Amino acid sequence: MLELERVSRHFGGVRAVDGLDLKVRDGEIVGLIGPNGSGKSTTVNLVTGLFSLTSGQIRFRGQDIAPLPTHMRLQGGIARTFQNIRLFGQLTVWQNLWVAQNSPADRAKRGFFSRWLGGQSGVRDEIVSLLEFSGLAHKQDELASNLAFGEQRRLELARAMATKPKLLLLDEPAAGMNSEEIGQLRERILKLRERGLTILLVEHVMELVMGVTDRIAVLNFGQKIAEGTPAEIQKDAAVRKAYLGGDAAAAEGGS
Amino acid sequence: MDDYVTGVLTNIGLFSFLALSAYLLLIAGEMSFGQQAFFGVGAYSGGILTAIYGLPLPVAALVAMLLGSLCAFLVGLPTLRLRGLYFAMATLAAAEMARILFELFRFQRQIGGELVGPDGTQGFRGIRWVFERGVEPAGYLALVWGLLLIALVVFLLMERSRLGATLRAIGEDPDLARSCGISVERFKLGVAAAAGALAALGGVLFAHHNTYIEPRNFDIMLGVHSLAYALIGGLGTAFGPLLGVMVDLGVLEGSRVFQGYRMIAFGGLVAILLIFRPRGLLDEKVVHWLRARFS
Repeated sequence: MLELERVSRHFGGVRAVDGLDLKVRDGEIVGLIGPNGSGKSTTVNLVTGLFSLTSGQIRFRGQDIAPLPTHMRLQGGIARTFQNIRLFGQLTVWQNLWVAQNSPADRAKRGFFSRWLGGQSGVRDEIVSLLEFSGLAHKQDELASNLAFGEQRRLELARAMATKPKLLLLDEPAAGMNSEEIGQLRERILKLRERGLTILLVEHVMELVMGVTDRIAVLNFGQKIAEGTPAEIQKDAAVRKAYLGGDAAAAEGGS
Repeated sequence: MDDYVTGVLTNIGLFSFLALSAYLLLIAGEMSFGQQAFFGVGAYSGGILTAIYGLPLPVAALVAMLLGSLCAFLVGLPTLRLRGLYFAMATLAAAEMARILFELFRFQRQIGGELVGPDGTQGFRGIRWVFERGVEPAGYLALVWGLLLIALVVFLLMERSRLGATLRAIGEDPDLARSCGISVERFKLGVAAAAGALAALGGVLFAHHNTYIEPRNFDIMLGVHSLAYALIGGLGTAFGPLLGVMVDLGVLEGSRVFQGYRMIAFGGLVAILLIFRPRGLLDEKVVHWLRARFS
C-alpha cells in the first residue's frame, strides 16, 4: 500500500526525518512511535504532501506520489487527521463532512453541477451513516468550533472517512483523551480495519498503540531504531533507551 | 422620493457590487486591495462600448463583465501564489498600475460633432446612453437594485451549496482544505474571476450613472472602502457587505450629520469594529444563530 524508501526531510541543519524506510501493507495497522520531535508528524506531512521531500521516494499503491500536490494525493485515497485538531470551525458538523467528499467515487456519482451547486439531499445517507459511526448525529447542525474536545476528535476522524480513503494516517488521535475515550477510539479503529482500511497510527499513548497495531516502527531523531510486533517492541533495548534515557534503561535492565 | 435620496440609494446599490466583490474574495480567505481596478475596467470598457460604439447597455455590461473577469484572472495567476499580506500588497500594486494606465489612456472619436472618449487624466465625458434614453433617476435606481437583488439571490444560493461551504473551508484553513482533496488554487482563481466580473458590473453602472468618470475615481481609497464595507457589515452572509455600504453611504454620508467629518467617523468605526467584531457585525456565529432561530 505505502512504501517509504530512504525518505529524508531536512529543515536547515535539522534532520527531521533521515533515511527512513517504512512499508505499510494492505489492511495492516502500523504504529509509528517515538519521543517528541523524533519525526513522526513530519513523516505524515511528507506522505500527505504538506512538506516536500529532501530526498528519497514515497510510493502509494506502486505509484511514485512525490510530485503530486496534496489534494491529488487525497483523491488517490490518502486521508489524515491532525495532531492539533483541525476542523472548519465556521462550518457546521454536517458541512465539515460535506466539503470533504472529493473522492473519485463521489465525482463519478454526481455531475459537476449537482456536486457543487446541488443541495444536501444527494449525499444525505452517506453523511448520516458517518455521523452515526462517530456518535455525532445529534450535533449535525452545530458549528464545529462549538463542539467539545472529544467530539472534535471524532469529527476529525469522520471527516477523514468522508473522503473514502484507502490509507488513513492518524496523527496522535488519542492525545488528551481519557481512558474511556481511548477505549472507544480503539473500537472505532478496529471497525475501520474491518471495512478494509489500511492505517498508519502515529501515537504516544501506548495503551492504544499496543492494543490495535500489527506492527510498530520506532523513530528517534528522524531515524528508525526498531521495528516489530508490539510484543517485540516492548522488549527492545534500543526503544527503552530512547524513551527512558540511557541510564534509566540500564538500571531497569540490570534489576 | 426626492433626487437626493434617490442619488444616495443608487450609490449604495452601485458600491454594493464592489463590496460584494471584495466579500467574495474575503470568504475564500484573500484580502484584495485591488478590486477598484476591475470596477474601473468595467466603467471604462462599458462607457466606450455605449458612447463610442453605440452598443446597447446590456451588451456593453456583459462584455465589460467578461473583460473584468479576464483581467482579474490574469492578475490572479501570479498574485494568488502569494500569501496574506503579500497578496494584499501585490493586488494594491496591480490596481495602482491599472489607475496609471487609465491616466495614460486616450481613445477619442468624433461622435455627432463632439469628441468623445477617455482623455487621460481629463477623464471620460459623455457616457450618456441612459440619459439619452430618458431613463428617470428612479428608473435607474430600480435597474441597479434589480441587478443587485439578482446578485444577492445568486450569492445566497451559492452559500447554501457545497461550493459555498467549500469556499469558506478554503478561507478558514487552506492546508486542511487541500488535505480534504480540494484544489485550493483552482477555486481561488475562479473566485478572483467571478469577483472581477462583479466589480466590473458595478463599474459599468457607475459610469452610466455619473456620465463622467476619471482615473481618480478608481484610486486606493475605493479599494479600502470596499474591503471596509465587507468587514464592517460582516463575513457571515452576503447581506453583510450591503449593510456595510448602508452604514457608510447611508448613515455617515447620507444623513449629513457627520458632514465634513465622515472619514473620521468612518475610520473610527472601522477601528472599533476590527477590535470588537473582527469578522463584522453579521459574522458567521451571528448568521448561524439567526439561521437556527428562523428556519
